[in-house]
Amino acid sequence: MAPSEKKHASNQACVIPGGFTVLPVQFNSDSVAQHKLYVKEHKVRSDRSSHRPMDRTLFVLNIPPYCSEDVAKQMFSQFGSVQSVELMDNPGPLAQDSGPKISKFFRPAAKQGFKVGYVVFENSSSIAAAKSHPHNVPLVVCTEKCRVKTGTQKWIQQYTESFIRTDNLQKIVDSFMEGYDKRKKEEEEKQKEEAKQQQEDEEGWVKVTRGTKARPHSEAANKKTLQTVIRKNKRKELMNFYTWQHRNTQKEHIAELRKKFEEDKQKIALLRVQRKFKPY
Amino acid sequence: MKNKQPVADDAAEMIPSESHEEQEKEAPSKAKRSKPEDAGGEESVYHPVKLSRSDLYKPPSAEELNQLKEAESLFHCSLLKMQMEELLKEVALSERKKQQIDSFIQTVTKLIQTVPESPEVEVSDLSWLSSEVKVPFLLVPKATKGKFHMVPPASVDLIGSYPLGTCTKPRIRVDLAVTIPADVLHPKDVVNQRYPRKRALYLAGLAQYLASSSEIGTMRYSCLHGNRLRPVLLLTPPGKDSSSFTVNVHACPPPGFFKPSRFHPQKNNIRTEWYTGLQNSQSEGTEPPTPHYNSSVLGDLLPRPHLQFLSAVGSQCFAFADGVALLKVWLRQRELDQGTGCFNGFLASMLLAYLLNSRRISNSMTAYQLLRNSLNFLASTDLTVNGISLAKDPDSSAPSMEEFHNVFQVVFVDPSGHLNMCADMTACTYKQLQHEASVSMQFWDNPTVDGFHSLLMTPKPMIRTSDHVFQLCDLVKLQSSCKKLDLLSELMDHSGNYVHATLPFILSLLQQGLGQRISLLTHSLSPDPEWSVESEAPKHKAQPPLCFGLLLKPELAASVLERGPPADSPKSAEFRQLWGSRSELRRFQDGAITEAVLWDGKSMCQKRLVPRQIITHLLQLHADIPESAIRYVGALLDDVIKTGSEVPSTGEEESLLVVQSYDDLSRKLWRLEGLPLSITAVQGAHPALRYTQVFPPVPLKMDYSFFDKEKTSRSLVPKEGKPCPAYITPITVICHMEGSGKWPHDRLAIRHIRTAFHIRMGELLKKHHNYTCKPCPTHLDVWKDGLVFRIQVAYHREPQVLRESVNAVGLLVVRDNEKAQALEMATNHKPILTSTLHGLQQEHPCFGAVCRLAKRWLGAQLFSEDITEDTADLLVASLFLQPAPFTPPGSPQVGFLRFLNLLASFDWRNNPLIVNLNNQLAVSDYTEIKNDFMASRESLPVMFIATPKETKQSMWTKKGPTVQMLQRVVMVAAESLKLLEHQLMDSNQTQDVRVVMRPPLDAYDVLIQLNPKQVPLLVQAVDPPTVTFSRGAIAGSAGQTGGALPVVDYNPVTLYLAELREAFGDLALFFCDPHGGTVIAVLWKPKAFMPTPFKTSQLSARSVEVTGDEAKTIPNVEAILEDFCVMGKGLIKSVEARTEKWSF
Repeated sequence: MAPSEKKHASNQACVIPGGFTVLPVQFNSDSVAQHKLYVKEHKVRSDRSSHRPMDRTLFVLNIPPYCSEDVAKQMFSQFGSVQSVELMDNPGPLAQDSGPKISKFFRPAAKQGFKVGYVVFENSSSIAAAKSHPHNVPLVVCTEKCRVKTGTQKWIQQYTESFIRTDNLQKIVDSFMEGYDKRKKEEEEKQKEEAKQQQEDEEGWVKVTRGTKARPHSEAANKKTLQTVIRKNKRKELMNFYTWQHRNTQKEHIAELRKKFEEDKQKIALLRVQRKFKPY
Repeated sequence: MKNKQPVADDAAEMIPSESHEEQEKEAPSKAKRSKPEDAGGEESVYHPVKLSRSDLYKPPSAEELNQLKEAESLFHCSLLKMQMEELLKEVALSERKKQQIDSFIQTVTKLIQTVPESPEVEVSDLSWLSSEVKVPFLLVPKATKGKFHMVPPASVDLIGSYPLGTCTKPRIRVDLAVTIPADVLHPKDVVNQRYPRKRALYLAGLAQYLASSSEIGTMRYSCLHGNRLRPVLLLTPPGKDSSSFTVNVHACPPPGFFKPSRFHPQKNNIRTEWYTGLQNSQSEGTEPPTPHYNSSVLGDLLPRPHLQFLSAVGSQCFAFADGVALLKVWLRQRELDQGTGCFNGFLASMLLAYLLNSRRISNSMTAYQLLRNSLNFLASTDLTVNGISLAKDPDSSAPSMEEFHNVFQVVFVDPSGHLNMCADMTACTYKQLQHEASVSMQFWDNPTVDGFHSLLMTPKPMIRTSDHVFQLCDLVKLQSSCKKLDLLSELMDHSGNYVHATLPFILSLLQQGLGQRISLLTHSLSPDPEWSVESEAPKHKAQPPLCFGLLLKPELAASVLERGPPADSPKSAEFRQLWGSRSELRRFQDGAITEAVLWDGKSMCQKRLVPRQIITHLLQLHADIPESAIRYVGALLDDVIKTGSEVPSTGEEESLLVVQSYDDLSRKLWRLEGLPLSITAVQGAHPALRYTQVFPPVPLKMDYSFFDKEKTSRSLVPKEGKPCPAYITPITVICHMEGSGKWPHDRLAIRHIRTAFHIRMGELLKKHHNYTCKPCPTHLDVWKDGLVFRIQVAYHREPQVLRESVNAVGLLVVRDNEKAQALEMATNHKPILTSTLHGLQQEHPCFGAVCRLAKRWLGAQLFSEDITEDTADLLVASLFLQPAPFTPPGSPQVGFLRFLNLLASFDWRNNPLIVNLNNQLAVSDYTEIKNDFMASRESLPVMFIATPKETKQSMWTKKGPTVQMLQRVVMVAAESLKLLEHQLMDSNQTQDVRVVMRPPLDAYDVLIQLNPKQVPLLVQAVDPPTVTFSRGAIAGSAGQTGGALPVVDYNPVTLYLAELREAFGDLALFFCDPHGGTVIAVLWKPKAFMPTPFKTSQLSARSVEVTGDEAKTIPNVEAILEDFCVMGKGLIKSVEARTEKWSF
């Protein structure tokens, strides 16, 4: 893990312990202050998914909130053409949503904070280019070519974009529900099939397969059965039948009273410490 | 040992981890016993009690058993009893203090007994006094006959509370009676203030002599209960103890020197001729009686017999002193124990003595019972009608009860039968006392109230007790009222004290005029003046302004019409006399023609001030008191929530408009036909629908040219470069749909179905009522009557669906999660809260206004993020539902003051605040809530509010405030309350109540100044802005139905804040006044600024510093500050970093 320590006077890459290269970034050319991006090639043991190929993916930390995926793509394209950019709140594999594709109007709003990104380049050479980027030449978010809207401009744009034609919305709903009904039907059929398999055939045999269980149990139902059992057992028990039982109840009662008394005493002591009895 | 064995074994069966029980048998029992003491060590944090097992289960002694049984049966009051005992310890004098007092009394007595004699002079000749000492007396008229000389006193005795053992902290006063020898006085001195003047001279003589002594600390004059005829000399010990106690030196005539019959209330002892200086032909027979003068002289004769009487009674009843002490604390908290006409500790002792003598209480009762019985007696007995007497068998010369009632308002006759001890008390003061006693009895019996705290620990200053307060500032003006009311004989009786002479008349006048509007009229008791011995006695006008408090009846107080008797009835003349020119004949709808007075008032906030109009009118008409002398404190705070329409209004009218429009919408929704499922409920879920929105939405009409148009729907959108358009609040309405098997059982599918409902509902509303609608996946916006309603369709099983999930094994698990809670909050709890509070508003008309004031303050002090609207409304609701020891607030001002007091004084650490909405919680629920709370205090929110719907979690305060924020809220609330009460009560203060609405900004690290142009709610700012911007809307006139949808819910400030909090929430806190604040205050979180090791998951806005092999990260402040600018482009004016106070 020793990056080539080329000693150039000023424009060398800055590498910190942990193997991250520091890339300064500023909003536009007039900015005085810079945020620091921390980049490294993407390297994990478990993730073998195809959309983050290890040799071509750059792992980027601390991407400022005004950097959208498009802006990031633009920004990193100076190291080579970018195939895709993924921005997330926390590092880790993409949440696997197996569900159907949903329209952006139905997705929960994304958090507008600092992000981590996975930039997938088309060529693996771009990674090296990014990692050797000199630390005193900042990347620029908002350039002449690619304006980034912030503040009131952005909010007005957001407001305008929140409008959707009613018939379009209706179409989205309809298509989703169609898909939902279809999936539902399929599931039902599958269940029916399984139920059929579970049934006895004419000769009284049940075919036992390794497949999924017929019905998922519910936790609530489990609890309920457990409680009925407990209740049943309790009913069988005799209370205050033997002398020792009776004596015990009395003892418990006195203990309870004692505890309450102690509690009160302690409450008072506590209040006294806090000077809660000084009327004025 | 053998008998015990089975017991131990049984116990072991019940509770596990019982291994050491066996060891106990062998181990010496002594070692075991020492254990519990360790456990019960003194700690300042409450822990659930952990008694060791052996301690809990040891066999009880008979005594302990009794004690426990008693506590069990009286659980409610046993804690109260213990608390009272603790309180008594706090107010009792310590032995050390008693020794100090005794030794000082000894020195003073010795000193006084050696006062040198002086030659006899005329009373009016003051040349024998040095110029350093003045006579503590207003010598009006100047001329007096008689001779005076200084001699050592006949005796010096302790009197009053100290020898009786009823003296309490604070303000320890020890009374010392100095008997003037008989040869200084003359039996005829009773007449024309001769005796009181000699008494004053004698005190001056003492003062002159004591001034030279080094054993006396400071010397001042005062007078007993504000009575100028009875001056006293106040002595304090020298050195550092000087403020710890005061010795009051009274001068008295020798016992039995004057005949008590001379002081019969019908007798005259001040001659008109002498007083006015005019030659009068009146004979002595027609001279007016001087009952007050008589009783004040008589009072000097009796302190010793009174002391004897009380100590005789007190010695029989062992709790007498404690009972008096409790009563004194109770009185003091209600400001009834000091000043002219007060119910002081002496009267309290006398009252207890009366109750003991009349067998209403027995000698064996505890202090707790004494207090309870005396309050019960006060609440049920009206001494203004049926006076009581301690005299067992008065001699024939003593006046009868009737004679007392004729001249005094309140009658409580002393053991001698000659003196009315309540001579100076006004009927109003007694009524106040009665009212307080009955209120106290009410909440004492209520087990849900912390009786001890409300009864004895909560101060009730007038400004926080009375709904409206007014002051008479220029007391000199009362001289002319004396003339107007023709009160010469009263003036003579009160020896020229025109304030006290006129007070009863003013009170009865007001009582008559305000009539049914008020339930109680109270007045402040003028405090005893105190002045140094070197200065002249202060004039009567020098006392602080007289304050009057009104307790309003909410349903009648704001009525603008005063309907009198029919024109032809004999009573009409009386009515006309009272109201003067304001009274006019009016014909009413029922055909009656009656006298009536109509007051001005269009909006609710003007109507609330009708009592003010009445008071100024009556005082001007009958007592010659100009309006300028009256300082009315009833609605000074309303300014901050007033809206700027032509009729000033504090939002009641606007709220009503919103509610009416909502009712109409709800009716139309119910009637919609063509929805696939029917509607089961339409509920409002917005503060505007419960009258508590700080600035209720007003109907607006849009100026289309001000906006851009959206292409497809022709809706308006804000234009770049123009000022931000007027903010339109969407008013949330929840619409529950019928449950049906057709609803899918999947969260995404439900969301889509809801959207379909929004679309369909919008179409129908457009078709039938021509409302402009904008359906979205989450809601449907409806533009109606110049308001925007945001309808959200809800399905009652959706939270349940959100909670369910199938885990890896295929088990269906139900887990509570935030999403489900949020949904439940929005669709269930908020609508219920809204309707409940709406009901509360119907019951208490000023509830909404109090909420508005409270939330305005929270907003202005930048707390609205921590104490949300719902929390604030609940806090205010608790003031109305559980007002003890007060009555429910009757004006916004008093409600707001109590809100601040609640914030400042509630012990959030150790108590849950239980808001019993709709009275649904029973007593057992209260104990359960408290026990649950105590058991898991650490894991619960710092501010715990329980409501009937939810008693375990305090869902309204789950998200905040944090400990630090609550601490700050408490601090700022206490400070605001202090400042505000001072401002309201002090007539010299400039009237700027907005001071409490201006937050101290010096505590913050960065201030982001906003561009007022882009702050849409600028007009709501605490200090009205100097520039206003056109925002494309015309208020007050709703446009036609239909038309383009306006810009809804677009507020750059909230958008900016949300972005800031999302991006930098880990590093800093952001504060802003939601009502037109133009500054965002930023506070860095100190924890975030500690260097932390490099971690990929915690790198937001941080920069890395490398030292050797270690990489540490700290926030990149410069870049963050620049981000503030970048993210708020167009909105912000400047970012001020206060680097000088940063500590990193």
